[in-house]
Amino acid sequence: MWSLRSVYLKTLRDYRVAILGWGIGMGLVVVSPMASVAALVTTPQAREQLISLAASFAWNADVVAVDTIGGYATWKIGIFIFLIAVWPLLAASRMLRGEEDRGSLDVLLSVPRPRVRVALEKLAAMWTALLAMGVIIGLLAFAGGQKFGGDFSLGDALLFGLNLALVCAVIGGLALLISQFTQEQGPAAGLTAGVLLVFVIMDMIHRVIPNTEWISRFSPIYYYNLSKPLVPSYGINPGAMLLLLALGLILGGTAVWLFARRDVGGTVPLPRWLRPPQRPASRALPIGDWSLRSVYARSLGMVAMPAVWWTLGIAAWAVWIEVVVQQMAARLSNLLSSSPAMLNLLKNLGGDAGINETFLSALFVFLPLFLMAFVVTQVSAWSADEQDGRLELVLAAPQPRLQVLLGRFAALATATIVISLITLVAAAVTATAAGLKLDLGNLAAATLGMIPLGLLVAALGYMAAGWLRTAADTGLLSFLLAAWFFISFIGPELKLPEATLRLSAFYYYGTPLLNGLQVTSVVGVIAVSVVALGIGALRFARKDIAE
Amino acid sequence: MTAVIEAQGLTKSYGSKRGITDVSFSVEEGEVFGFLGPNGSGKTTTIRVLMALIRANSGTARIAGLDCWQQSVEIKKLVGYVPGEPALDPNLTGGQILEFFAHLRGGVDQAYLKQLIERFDLDTSRKFRQYSTGNKRKVVLIQAFMHRPRLLILDEPTSGLDPLNQREFDSMVKEVRDEGRTVFLSSHILSEVEKTCTRVGIIRAGSIVRTGGVAEVTAIKRYEMTITFATGVPVDVFKTLEGVVAVEASDQGHTLRLEMQGPADAVVKAAARYPVISLTSHEPSLEDIFLRYYAADAAPKEAEHVVA
Repeated sequence: MWSLRSVYLKTLRDYRVAILGWGIGMGLVVVSPMASVAALVTTPQAREQLISLAASFAWNADVVAVDTIGGYATWKIGIFIFLIAVWPLLAASRMLRGEEDRGSLDVLLSVPRPRVRVALEKLAAMWTALLAMGVIIGLLAFAGGQKFGGDFSLGDALLFGLNLALVCAVIGGLALLISQFTQEQGPAAGLTAGVLLVFVIMDMIHRVIPNTEWISRFSPIYYYNLSKPLVPSYGINPGAMLLLLALGLILGGTAVWLFARRDVGGTVPLPRWLRPPQRPASRALPIGDWSLRSVYARSLGMVAMPAVWWTLGIAAWAVWIEVVVQQMAARLSNLLSSSPAMLNLLKNLGGDAGINETFLSALFVFLPLFLMAFVVTQVSAWSADEQDGRLELVLAAPQPRLQVLLGRFAALATATIVISLITLVAAAVTATAAGLKLDLGNLAAATLGMIPLGLLVAALGYMAAGWLRTAADTGLLSFLLAAWFFISFIGPELKLPEATLRLSAFYYYGTPLLNGLQVTSVVGVIAVSVVALGIGALRFARKDIAE
Repeated sequence: MTAVIEAQGLTKSYGSKRGITDVSFSVEEGEVFGFLGPNGSGKTTTIRVLMALIRANSGTARIAGLDCWQQSVEIKKLVGYVPGEPALDPNLTGGQILEFFAHLRGGVDQAYLKQLIERFDLDTSRKFRQYSTGNKRKVVLIQAFMHRPRLLILDEPTSGLDPLNQREFDSMVKEVRDEGRTVFLSSHILSEVEKTCTRVGIIRAGSIVRTGGVAEVTAIKRYEMTITFATGVPVDVFKTLEGVVAVEASDQGHTLRLEMQGPADAVVKAAARYPVISLTSHEPSLEDIFLRYYAADAAPKEAEHVVA
């Protein structure tokens, strides 16, 4: 097979699904704001309002020709660079460290091929993958521009993709470099994400605080933002793009240089004062550890840390949208009053009420979406545990299979309840502090109403895991989330029949911030969840457990 | 003696992949039963059926009189298990893993658990992912022994252990046997099986080809005899004698190498008619028997020949 002829081709082969999936997914992220521009600039007043509103969000990205298709898309995805960088961040942190973890690098390095070459081939494969993703994103951006009346050419769109690929190469190089200093891939990815956040804030700072551009210059995101190929009047900054290329090469090259000089399975030795203290060997047992007392407690221990991060994100979203609505109340009202199409779009999601309430309600729909995304990651972990044989010894203990599955499900349910409760508290405190008039009962309905949707996704995921492997199960749930969101968000505009709209779980979430929860809907969602969980439990109790 | 494990006509197929076919055997209380077979022969499949991790398409398996599938939870209270390829949460320390399984099992004597940790000299503070292969194996062995199970089911338990720890393992198995408990052990280390097991079962291509006492299996009368004569002897005289399977002559008929099965009386009497310089007989080791069963070219013939 030609794709197994070299380390480069084999690595590229491993990336083939990601190239297509991430490329198309991120391409759609770029295209999606293009669709709404036309609705936002129907009148000259609306155009002015849009520019004014965008200026208020200048911290997000430079406001350049936001009343054009390309300008609006460039501005809108400003902060999404964090999302787009997820793949190179994960891929680079596991490129060498992940293989070392699995022990597969030992075998690979036993072939008569220099270690530097192996690492360089892997790095080159990642760059090729990024370039391919950039091309896909560029092509989709061009198609979006053509569809919605953009004024940029195919060359501009491809340059846009290239600029994204370059900044992603820098982030990938950084992750690869950091992974030379960590024993596992997880901390490398986490540290890189932290550094990326700092870079995003450093870039943001000069748009918020005058005379701080010198700080922003230390961030690669700043150089990415210097080129705006989708705005032909602005164009690209070749120097900035070359700088990103150089940064990517330096970071990747340094990582490879360090890799060639350290022990496989070890890390680059840190100065003594930076090394964590050596733990003496011990034969002690953690007798008082609560998280080891049962399958449920252990599952809770496993889900705790991811739940903390997702809680922070979800609660922060709830707080942020409340603050935004409070601060932008007047401008939002003006903008949406002059953009009936946009208002309709929001009403599909947020319901029909006052503009601020509708806007807030529409943004609240993202809360259950985020919670369900968290649930998908946890269902994926369950499925992977079975697929990788980590359930074998647990099931060899005198624990009924049903108890093992339900213990894990209960821990996930507990996490969704805690996330929803904390979000409710954070949103209520913020609303009070910001003087935002919200019905506390409806706010409770909007936050606690996420729980049944989370449980529904979990139950469907556990059921599907009875038959599908991890990748297929995760893919199916992700597709389901996207389809539900599409049906609820776009469906009414497309005049989809009521029966189709009812297929979406969001339909049953409704607009609780305005109208509270519909008891029959909640009961219906819970009933479907119980049935799905029941089928999943029966299947798990009878199936062959993977080795 | 009563049977602790009784497998009757177990069959498990994985679509086009071979599993096991009509596997039957029993293991008596208090014995150490060795389960031998090459990779892919069906050892692990059989063990996973016993542990109710997979369900047989047909046949029955019972442990201590309980049905392996229907009453698996009750059975697992009696069993300590070491899988062939242990996978555990890589982010837990060895100590956390042992404590977790102690809670799942219940009734684990902490003093005995600490004693096992000391015997294997295990550092319990390291994460599972950071352990060497041998140390990972130690964690899994300790969790199998820690509740003093009535039956130990061990799938290649010493793989990755250094000789010192293998010796420790051997002595633990002996202790278990001396206490009247039962061990079902699959292994490739035949000398170890020969040393520690009282009975063995040999599985090939998903089917049991022989079970019996270690002594009984090693006593299969298939062995090699080499006779050196002062003069050349007619080979045909020996070919037809009772117990001779094959004869090979060398050194112009001065030396005969005979493959034997059964008594050597006829050969010795025939050889005595000629001037014998030396006569040597090689006792078959379990290794020899094992390899003979799996010699690819002779496989079907052997199976037919040997199955009791």
